[in-house]
Amino acid sequence: MAAYLLRRVGYGFLTVLGVLFLLFVLFFAVTNPDDIARKAVGERARPEVYAQWKINHGYDKPLFLNRDFAGSDARRYTDTLLAEHYRRMLTFDFGRSDADDSSIAKRLWDGAGPSLTLTVPLFALGLVAGIALALFVAFFRETYIDRAVLVLCMLTMSVASLLYIIAGQYLIGMLLKWFPISGFDPNPAIAARFLALPVLVGVISGLGADVRFLRTVFIEEMSRDYVRTARAKGCGDARVMVRHVLRNALIPILTNVVVQIPFLFTGALLLESFFGIPGLGALTVEAIQGNDFSTLRTMVYLGALLFIIGQILTDISYALADPRVRLS
Amino acid sequence: MRAGCLSRFLVLTALAYCLAVAGCTNDPYPDSDRGEKVLYSAFSQPPKTLDPAVSYGAEEHVITGNVYDTLLEYHYLERPYRLIPGLAEAVPAAQPLPEGRQAYRFKLRPQVLFHTDPCFTLSQSGRQTREVTAPDFAFAMMRVADPALNSPAISSFAQILGFADFGKRLVELRRADAAFAALTPRAQYARAGGIAGIVAHGDHELEIILAEPNAQILYWFAMPFTTPVAWEAVAYYNGRDGRPHFGDHAVGTGPYRLALYEKQHRFTLERNAAWYGSLPPNVEAPGAVFPKEIDAQDSAAGRIDASYAGRQMPFVDRIKFYREREDIPLFNKFLQGYYDTGGIIKESFDAVVQSGRLSPEMQARGMRLDKEVEPTIFYVGFNMGDQVVGTAAGERSRKLRQAMSVAVDAKQYLELFFNGRGVLAQSPLPPGIFGYDASYKNPFRLHDVARARQLLAEAGYKNGIDPATETRLKLTFDTYATTASSSLPLEFLAAAWRQIGLDIEINSTTYNQFQDKVRRGAYQIFVWGWGADFPDPENFFFLLECRNARSKSGGPNTADFCHAEFDRLYHEMKYRPNDAQRADLIRRMVAILEQERPWIELFHREHYTLSHAWLVNSKPMGISHAAYKYKDVRPELRANLRAEWNAPVRWPLYLVLILVVAATVPAVRTYYRERL
Repeated sequence: MAAYLLRRVGYGFLTVLGVLFLLFVLFFAVTNPDDIARKAVGERARPEVYAQWKINHGYDKPLFLNRDFAGSDARRYTDTLLAEHYRRMLTFDFGRSDADDSSIAKRLWDGAGPSLTLTVPLFALGLVAGIALALFVAFFRETYIDRAVLVLCMLTMSVASLLYIIAGQYLIGMLLKWFPISGFDPNPAIAARFLALPVLVGVISGLGADVRFLRTVFIEEMSRDYVRTARAKGCGDARVMVRHVLRNALIPILTNVVVQIPFLFTGALLLESFFGIPGLGALTVEAIQGNDFSTLRTMVYLGALLFIIGQILTDISYALADPRVRLS
Repeated sequence: MRAGCLSRFLVLTALAYCLAVAGCTNDPYPDSDRGEKVLYSAFSQPPKTLDPAVSYGAEEHVITGNVYDTLLEYHYLERPYRLIPGLAEAVPAAQPLPEGRQAYRFKLRPQVLFHTDPCFTLSQSGRQTREVTAPDFAFAMMRVADPALNSPAISSFAQILGFADFGKRLVELRRADAAFAALTPRAQYARAGGIAGIVAHGDHELEIILAEPNAQILYWFAMPFTTPVAWEAVAYYNGRDGRPHFGDHAVGTGPYRLALYEKQHRFTLERNAAWYGSLPPNVEAPGAVFPKEIDAQDSAAGRIDASYAGRQMPFVDRIKFYREREDIPLFNKFLQGYYDTGGIIKESFDAVVQSGRLSPEMQARGMRLDKEVEPTIFYVGFNMGDQVVGTAAGERSRKLRQAMSVAVDAKQYLELFFNGRGVLAQSPLPPGIFGYDASYKNPFRLHDVARARQLLAEAGYKNGIDPATETRLKLTFDTYATTASSSLPLEFLAAAWRQIGLDIEINSTTYNQFQDKVRRGAYQIFVWGWGADFPDPENFFFLLECRNARSKSGGPNTADFCHAEFDRLYHEMKYRPNDAQRADLIRRMVAILEQERPWIELFHREHYTLSHAWLVNSKPMGISHAAYKYKDVRPELRANLRAEWNAPVRWPLYLVLILVVAATVPAVRTYYRERL
């Protein structure tokens, strides 16, 4: 298992290097340091102000090749934006935001809390609601409840998540006035008031796909011999569904779930942006909109790292959940 | 799963659901705010920096404008805008000096204190504040001149004697001597010898010496760039030992101090009890009391409460700003009464404004609509360096530009794409700026398709046909609008020109590529806009000065317009005071632009502000945003109206519950009947 993990970490490292290279190439294919500087200091600043900003932030270097140095000089390759990009990311020296010069590490730290206060309940409630509803419809399969829920699931899956947000804000926040339309307060006494609506919207928008997937998994398990045996032995319905079906359906559920856990830290892009939650998802959206390369590369880098960690955790959880699985 | 167990589960779920429903509220504010004189506002973009030498944007000015006082400020109610004294005792008059120089002497108010802050222990142990003196202004100006700070205003003060030289000396000294570079900014500035044209005469008099006359420089003393800066604050807030940078920690003298600053999320301004205007001997200062003369129109419109005339400011204890990244939630929260003022989103414009007035529904809620023409100009520009539309083609291209100008129906353009929020432009000057003539009608801005065709024929392009190619004259309309919605206004303009026979190709690129084209001069027609830094005609006409031409200096004259007579008039007008001769110079400049048509002036933007009935003394200002000290709220009225507008509607929750039970129970019962 150790050799397997080592190999996976090695592949993961190469993947991260590739992601960083792709990000660099794609970002500078659509923009350039002048544009970053212009966004940072404002459209109306004079050219000398742009130039000084680029020097202050290291964007005065060439992208790939520094022709100021001879071919044999290593600085021809190391004194470039690409080399600086790799150096900063691989040493976790995230630097300062291009948009407002604030420390990116501090912004990550500040944003992680609000993101987690949204994503953890969203993830947990979504999972519980999905499993509960899927077990329910699986239990009543082939009845009108099953069919009605499936139709509803298809409907919810067909609607864009942005529409859920706008409709949720308008219907629940504006017309029915149950919760604030947007906002966030770190004070736990009133934080729930702000989180109720985004969590509700997030759970509902993701429920359709989850229920359909989980229902299929549960129905497949329910047709197995061990379920029939359990029933024949006089096991109650609840016990059969929860103790036997749910436990044996854990592997596909884990595949779906464990990989999502690391992403709880990176926040929910749209929900945070529309509900005014100052988390890491909103930070990413802002970095994209504001041409903030320093922040964007950090978020993409962390996202790639977390994805790889999620994949490895999933593999480990397979082995833990099912003794038949061997990692080699 | 037994029936009894399921029933218990359902009953418990329903109970929890009902409890949650009973406790719900949409109030986003803490209960401690109730009954307080708090003003609520929103921001979409966080401030980049609060360092007054660097901050420039409106999102920063809402803080810096209220936390930092300036020597001069704008009269809150008067239009056209007029400067009044702030920290200065009077608006200084220009004093001529030998060699064509000019000086302004600011006499400073006594007993002006910085906000209490631990940084002042640097100058004296245990000290929490100190009086503002003339060297604090000189220090602030030296920071603007310091190239390391990268102030966007550095070129605006270039006429101050020795201003640019000071910056050069600093750079050289820092490069030559590492020990010098390690000194605090204050020590560096002192060793670099300061700026020759900024002289502190004792503690309460500041002299600014200009190498050449410039009456407009006074406007810059109404901006936070020139606010007094405590050297202690700059030295103390350096980002070390857990302390923030000076750009994230404002230490000013203003009527409000920054009490909370989570810049990505929210910030709070709190009344400064030791503000100079609240204490003798400055309680009668023009910037400390509400204007005594109140315009009857402002009063009748409900914008200004006449009973506030001459009262001591500020009126509100706290101003809370919350970040709203999206317009729709912001507008909806304004409608619920959770923000005191708001703009109007495009999607709801027709529901809010009908025939230019507030809709009856909004009027019934006690709202007020205020309009203010901003000092802006939106225009179509021609590249005057182009061989076809530019000056090289002589009279032919002039007629072509005139024809294209007459072909554009700016009124319809404004209605279609901006809900009519603007004033049709006849020249670069908007209303409220000296030299604006409301009676002037530009003959080439009257929409007339037949005349446009006639002018086009006179240009030698009858029906748009270019005799050289015997095909329609092809022109390129360059833009960085790449989305369908942002391209629509350009399509409208292109359609107007196609109507007279021209072949217009819209060339959409990224902003970057567009900028690159502008740099290379590889463009013909473009759409652009400008918002003035200060309310002076110079700040509009400089966009057409030859020295600022894109091809000459990479400056903001994107039309690349160079006209000797226009430049001569501009230089004569530039630094003159607002007198009859200046007005005449402006008329002559406008007449040149009328004929030459480097621009097709479209409109001056009009800002619509909605205010709730409980907000008092809210008059929109196109130039300055530092107006919170004038505003007041009526918390009782706000609380009552909020309660009335935001009572939760609970019946749908119970209905949902009943529907779920009604749909589930028969299935469960049937299932068990069949199985058991």
